[in-house]
Amino acid sequence: MKFQSQAVAMPYFIAAIGLFLGQILFGLIMGLQYVMGDFLFPEIPFNVARMVHTNLLIVWVLFGFMGSAYYLIPEESQTELFSPKLALALFWIFLVAGALTIVGYLAVPYATLAEITGNDLLPTMGREFLEQPTITKIGIVIVALGFLFNLGMTVLKGRKTVISMVLMIGLVGLAVMFLFSFYNPHNLVLDKMFWWYTVHLWVEGVWELILGAILAFVLIKITGVDREVIEKWLYMIIAMALITGILGTGHHYFWIGTPDYWQLLGSVFSALEPIPFFMMTLFAFNMINKRRREHPNKAAALWAMGTGVMAFLGAGVWGFLHTLSPVNYYTHGTQITAAHGHMAFYGAYAMIVMTMISYAMPNIRGRIANSRQAQVIEMWGFWLMTVSMVFITLFLTGAGILQVWLQRFSDNPQGFMAVQSQIEVFYWMRELSGVIFLIGLAVYIYSFFAKGDEVTVDNAATASA
Amino acid sequence: MNQTLSSSTPTSLSPESTRLDTEAQSSIGNSMDTETDSITASETSVSKGSRSGRLPGDLAMWIFILAELTAFALLFSIYAVNRALYPDIFAEGQAGLDITSGLANTLALLSSSYFVARAVTSVEHGNNRKGFYELLAAIGMGAVYLVIKILEYKHSIELGYDITTNVFYQYYYLLTAFHFLHVILGMIILAFVAIKTRKKAYTPDSIMGLESGACYWHMVDLLWLILFPLVYVLH
Amino acid sequence: MSETFTKTMARNIFYGGSLFFILVFLGLSFHTTRVLPERDHRENINEDVILGKKLWEDNNCIGCHTLMGEGAYFAPELANVYDRFGKNKEAIKAFIKSRPANGIPGRRSMPQFNFSEEELEALAEFLKWTSEIDDGNWPPNIQG
Repeated sequence: MKFQSQAVAMPYFIAAIGLFLGQILFGLIMGLQYVMGDFLFPEIPFNVARMVHTNLLIVWVLFGFMGSAYYLIPEESQTELFSPKLALALFWIFLVAGALTIVGYLAVPYATLAEITGNDLLPTMGREFLEQPTITKIGIVIVALGFLFNLGMTVLKGRKTVISMVLMIGLVGLAVMFLFSFYNPHNLVLDKMFWWYTVHLWVEGVWELILGAILAFVLIKITGVDREVIEKWLYMIIAMALITGILGTGHHYFWIGTPDYWQLLGSVFSALEPIPFFMMTLFAFNMINKRRREHPNKAAALWAMGTGVMAFLGAGVWGFLHTLSPVNYYTHGTQITAAHGHMAFYGAYAMIVMTMISYAMPNIRGRIANSRQAQVIEMWGFWLMTVSMVFITLFLTGAGILQVWLQRFSDNPQGFMAVQSQIEVFYWMRELSGVIFLIGLAVYIYSFFAKGDEVTVDNAATASA
Repeated sequence: MNQTLSSSTPTSLSPESTRLDTEAQSSIGNSMDTETDSITASETSVSKGSRSGRLPGDLAMWIFILAELTAFALLFSIYAVNRALYPDIFAEGQAGLDITSGLANTLALLSSSYFVARAVTSVEHGNNRKGFYELLAAIGMGAVYLVIKILEYKHSIELGYDITTNVFYQYYYLLTAFHFLHVILGMIILAFVAIKTRKKAYTPDSIMGLESGACYWHMVDLLWLILFPLVYVLH
Repeated sequence: MSETFTKTMARNIFYGGSLFFILVFLGLSFHTTRVLPERDHRENINEDVILGKKLWEDNNCIGCHTLMGEGAYFAPELANVYDRFGKNKEAIKAFIKSRPANGIPGRRSMPQFNFSEEELEALAEFLKWTSEIDDGNWPPNIQG
């Protein structure tokens, strides 16, 4: 760690991992509700569990992005963070607001929460992923503004690099696109159309810039490859991400009442969306192959390569599987979508945050890398989580294919609930994979506490940047 | 341009290029041979020296061109599939198009591509002033294309055909409008390189930016050379 | 063959290419909002439909159901539930009203929301209006 203020990333990373654990626990509850419909009913109905599961995901990934930015920006700008105190204050505000929101979800019925948080004044609640009370949404905007101000001032007073500019564009885009969550017209079609401005243009737009910037940063640090080479590839990757991803929004405009031409445009451009992810995979592997130093943090390199591969598989391949409109006509809103969502979010956004944590945490804790023993445990966590996520995806895909066949494609289509009971075996196997994922997460968390021999100085000498 | 389209030969890739670069190159290898040759053909009179056999323009531009070509290839394929599905609607729609305008536009784009190639040659000879005017001529021919296309759209709309009329017109408007926007983008790029040519930012030894812009414009032209027969002529 | 790959060109393509596609997207979005009235039948959005959508949101229905394919995949699609229930609003209302407060042993069950008659009518109206949106003939069949 080169600047003291980078340490402010630490509470963000700890919060991210804690909330990640919560997300997985609620995922397991939901997985069980899929096969035992009355589990925890009516105390935690499925919609509440799902809301907690998805909202925790968003919040922990945001914590991860913020922590990554607080670590990355000072180092790239070669100056201390503008205000570490502001960063710490915003951390507590965000954490308390997030925790209160989750408590609100669990403690009272959602309609009551809507009432007491004044949803009648400015109704924004009750839409997928944007379930947060309006007041929480306003809080998110305030935190984002303070966060961007803090980073922006840091960038302005220091060195301006491509990586920090790309990260800033991504983060500003994230904040701007979130503003569409306040637009909730009475007309459902318009509502859905602009809801995707937030959701799609986050995950298949500006978040890819953040992902690319963090990946590029970690690759520079652990491979020692020339910044110039890494930066030009970063530009090309994010160029492809936006060129394909922006019109790719059209793949959400097939069946929500929007005009027919979106079927053509959405199919074509979202079919190209795997390109940036493929480039990212090549980028990570190639830079690591061309490394000019042996960095002792092997785990971080594994996470970086894993991010490339899993993002390509989850977002690229699994997205492509059902993105062409004639295919999507049958698969839209089935377990296929769930399969894609799981692997894409884990592969792209969960893993990039863990890549950054893997690289930055040892530095914040005052060492170039964790002990060999701790890294082995961390890599066990990596493999357990990643492999079980592959299986979760495969089982959900199996469930989805069968669901599409029985419910939509066969000559004698059956009702939703009848089909659900026939694909139960896939849900059981998914739940089992989920348990292994939780074990993997526990192993990962344990790796932070594992003792071992310190990384030797001569190792570190070749690795210091 | 046309004659080079048929006379392209694959060019081998150098083994010492980095793996990532090779990846990108080999995937664009085939599609770019035509363009490579059209440029090198116009270069034959120039002493090539150390620059022979290299990729004209920047690799970054080629990646962009590859992505664009892929998008158009998908659009063309989907068009072809739909034409096979609805032969009557497409035959009827095609008969309603003005083939003369299409032909005029083909000539406009071909001649503008010619001017662009000439401009590259001029700058290679150190004659930036001539190159600048040739680029202006190319932009002018692009503008001719835009005007003809707008008149054509106006005519179709006056006859009551719009994007919602039927499946043929939906694809006709989407494909041609999307290409139309690329012509505008290409003209902006040409204007950008024209200004830099005039400012003598390009010299015979440093001509990458101009070549990259030229490559993009040739792509826009090439796409029309596919689009025109596909939508206007082939029955 | 050797090649040149410069950061400047990569940057130009990022900014130029992105701007181009952002403009195309905004143009198409604008066009879409112009032609939507033909497809969404907004003239039929009455007080009941507005209240129905509000209730739909205030009770987080999207947390279990899909609506036009978007939402959770735990409970049936509802964009065509009006058609599936024989174009009968009373059937929809009766279903919602009859959910047992403590669920059904071993099975998934919709919670009991204790809606008033007025609220039930509004929800049914909202689902009826939604079923009439021109959504490219989706879902493929009545089962949703």
